[in-house]
Amino acid sequence: MDVLDQLGTMREGKMSRRAFMRSLSAVGVGMATVPLTAPRALAAAEDQATYFTWGGYDIPELFGPYMEKNGELPNFAIFGGSEEALTKMRGGFVVDVSHPCNQAVPRWVATGLFQSIDTSRLSNGPDIIPRLTELEGNKDGDNLWMVPFDWGSTSITYRTDLFELEGEESWDMLWDKRYEGRLGSLGSAADAWWVGAIKAGVSFDDIDTPEAFEKIAALMREQRPLIRVYTDDNSTLEQALASGEMVAAMTWNSSAVTLAAEGVPVKFANPKEGALTWVCGLMVHKDAPNLDKAYDVIDSLISVETGKFMVNDYGYGHSNAKTFDHFDEETLVGLGLSKNPETILGAGHFQKPQTQEFETKMNGLFEQIKAGF
Amino acid sequence: MGDTAASPPDPLLHPKRRRRPLRGLMQRSEAIRAYILMSPTLVVMTLGIVIPFAILITISLWTAQGFGFDTSLTLNNYAQANEQPIYNALLFRSLKMSGLATVATVLLSYPMAYYVAFHVKRNKMMWIVLMTLPFWTSYLLRVFAWKVVLGYEGVINSGLLATGLIDKPLEFLLYSQSAVVITLAHAWAAFAILPLYVSLEKIDRSLLEAATDLGDGPVMRFLRVTLPLSLPGVISASLLIFIPTTGDYITPALLGGPDGTMIGNLIQLQFGPVNNWPMGATLSIILMLWIAGLALVFLFLTQLAKKKLT
Repeated sequence: MDVLDQLGTMREGKMSRRAFMRSLSAVGVGMATVPLTAPRALAAAEDQATYFTWGGYDIPELFGPYMEKNGELPNFAIFGGSEEALTKMRGGFVVDVSHPCNQAVPRWVATGLFQSIDTSRLSNGPDIIPRLTELEGNKDGDNLWMVPFDWGSTSITYRTDLFELEGEESWDMLWDKRYEGRLGSLGSAADAWWVGAIKAGVSFDDIDTPEAFEKIAALMREQRPLIRVYTDDNSTLEQALASGEMVAAMTWNSSAVTLAAEGVPVKFANPKEGALTWVCGLMVHKDAPNLDKAYDVIDSLISVETGKFMVNDYGYGHSNAKTFDHFDEETLVGLGLSKNPETILGAGHFQKPQTQEFETKMNGLFEQIKAGF
Repeated sequence: MGDTAASPPDPLLHPKRRRRPLRGLMQRSEAIRAYILMSPTLVVMTLGIVIPFAILITISLWTAQGFGFDTSLTLNNYAQANEQPIYNALLFRSLKMSGLATVATVLLSYPMAYYVAFHVKRNKMMWIVLMTLPFWTSYLLRVFAWKVVLGYEGVINSGLLATGLIDKPLEFLLYSQSAVVITLAHAWAAFAILPLYVSLEKIDRSLLEAATDLGDGPVMRFLRVTLPLSLPGVISASLLIFIPTTGDYITPALLGGPDGTMIGNLIQLQFGPVNNWPMGATLSIILMLWIAGLALVFLFLTQLAKKKLT
């Protein structure tokens, strides 16, 4: 069937009803079978690895070595929170590399969706800070599930010109009634709830007890009317802090560093109760379609080149011990980091892996509180 | 033809029919022909709507258990949805907000459609295209545009500050229920203007003349002729807006703030971080039932009103 031919007969009014119907049904069948043929046609570069990560990690600066080797950036898929990511992968979304944090690793492993990692395939493998690989839940026996990549804290970024500090920096700042409607918070319970635990004085060993739930929930309910917006989007918080819409917000290191670089008078607080510290890393999907390139992604992310960018521009800690040789102690302390990560990890409150029941209960309860119940 | 006439017709027609059984079938029955023609659509409907709906109902009868499901059937989720105040409160808040948005959209769109239908004589198409021009951009972009307009340093606030009417930005504009209603009313306006325009355009002008001849003033003429005849447009516009906005999720997520969350956000959370798919399925079904119920009541009321008016 020639399309031009058909158009010609149509124009001359010679198209028969039957021929017309035949063309129509051909189009119909064609349309109906389109989804069957090329389900992955949307991905830009078919032969590159897919990296499923947080917003802000999808930039070329982190993939220098990868691009050198493979000529192109990997494909990116972005999530707002790691629970969302896990739900998507459990729903059948196959990626090569994903980016959870250490407290989630045992639950992620329990889904059976991931494969353990062979560090001998990573050229930067020997430089990983050993303390980070040996985190609780990260290893079982000889299996390493997550290659540590970045670490940092969740704390308060506040405007030094607008927020009047009373005494020491403390988590009380985010419960300060003087600034009702001008405080912001991260929206995911994985940050906010644990911060609530620090504020309530609940030890992370007891976080899964009814009393802890009660105490933390009470605090979160108390805080809720003071909060202008809960969001998982860093830039929303950063913009609000820059414009003065908010005077203080719960953020990660990068927000404070980004804002300071733009000349906004902000400080990343070091609360007296301790900040919430986290270590995130890379896990490989069991059905990773481009396994070799998955290792390239990991190797690129834990390279010194990437590490320098992570520390300098985002203010995050990096897992490659050699990265820190490029910075003097003063710069690192200014960013809330240290050459010896042990000091930071030891001083902060470190999230501990929990059961899936705990996660469901915590997330459900926190969402209710956010909605006002 | 001469050939067919010369030889007996039966043996010739028979093998032909054998070779093309489908055509024979199609020619014999009107109903089968209709079904075959519709079959691609029917397949899509079954695969895309009926089966997922059945799955949704089944999941809503299960219980979440860690990563998996307890697949014994129970109505517990529905009982819980009824008992816990958050679900009902968010449901009614969503119905209220999208109800407000629907009324606002239809009221604002009606005059526009009316003007184009009755007072624009030339280039009507251009007018329609111009009115729907904002809808050529993505929905998300329009929502963000409203964030810019209503924001703390947004267009309205900086305008008011510059004129000296206020000395501190208004904070209630963004992250509130009103922000969501305003945005929905704008974002869905095209869905009101088009059906309203079509139904107004169709009205026979001689009826209006007749009404004038019989002594009706402009107001009575509008109430007794134009409005009842354009009711189908009003009804379809209202339903077109009310049904999708009740479950809307992106607008409240971006503009609603803590007090502006709607049931759509809660459903998304159940399938995401909360990881309670059965509860998410239950809430979706309850929402669907409520919308269907309200749409029926609305249709019934407009039928009544139509009878009263004519």
